Amino acid sequence: MINTGTLEVTTPSDREIALTRVFDAPRQMVFDAFSKPELLKRWFGPRGWSLVVCEVDFRVGGGFRFVMRGPDGKDMGMRGVYREISAPERSVHMESFDDYPGESQVTAVFVERNGKTTMTATVLYPSQEIRDIVIQTGMEHGAAESYDKLAELLAEAA
Amino acid sequence: MTELAKPFDMSQPAISKHLKVLEHAGLISRGRDAQRRPCRIEAQPLGQACGWLENYRRFWEESFERLDTLLEEMKKKDKKGKKR
Repeated sequence: MINTGTLEVTTPSDREIALTRVFDAPRQMVFDAFSKPELLKRWFGPRGWSLVVCEVDFRVGGGFRFVMRGPDGKDMGMRGVYREISAPERSVHMESFDDYPGESQVTAVFVERNGKTTMTATVLYPSQEIRDIVIQTGMEHGAAESYDKLAELLAEAA
Repeated sequence: MTELAKPFDMSQPAISKHLKVLEHAGLISRGRDAQRRPCRIEAQPLGQACGWLENYRRFWEESFERLDTLLEEMKKKDKKGKKR
């Protein structure tokens, strides 16, 4: 597996989460992968998940609709509206999950250096409580995946 | 506190401030023993605090690993396109 960098996750404030990741590709390419539906479909979602609905109207005021399907067949839907687009450096959008209250604001910044692109996405939640619920849910999925991996290892060992 | 401050290039009041934050968050507890304030790490809450971010990180990292693979493909196609 090609892995050019480690993902950094920080909490700049009580209502925010920031993700930083370096990709070994020029900025325009990374920006496209984050905004074009045919590309998003090929990577968005962790192992075992697929993007079964991916509609993107990539312009200021335009919206998007994603539905991710998990390994257990459960769907997780989200939608949003683009607020600001300065391709290929920066974009701001609002997003909300079907199953959780509140809307969060996502600011993505792409910086290219020596052919590599650093992407920083800062998510601002309406409250600390909602931020913590979202992370908690991510944690459940993460745990489920760990169990899958454990099951695989055990099957190999048997 | 003198012992705890030793490895750090920080003043004692600064160390004391950090310890207060950790104690307030329930990540350490402090006792009292004459002149000393022994600190104890509260392992369970500390593990939870590390765990929730770690799992969120893994959730996204798996997506980004797929994106790495896609970007490699895109770069190869881009090169081929330029040669033509």
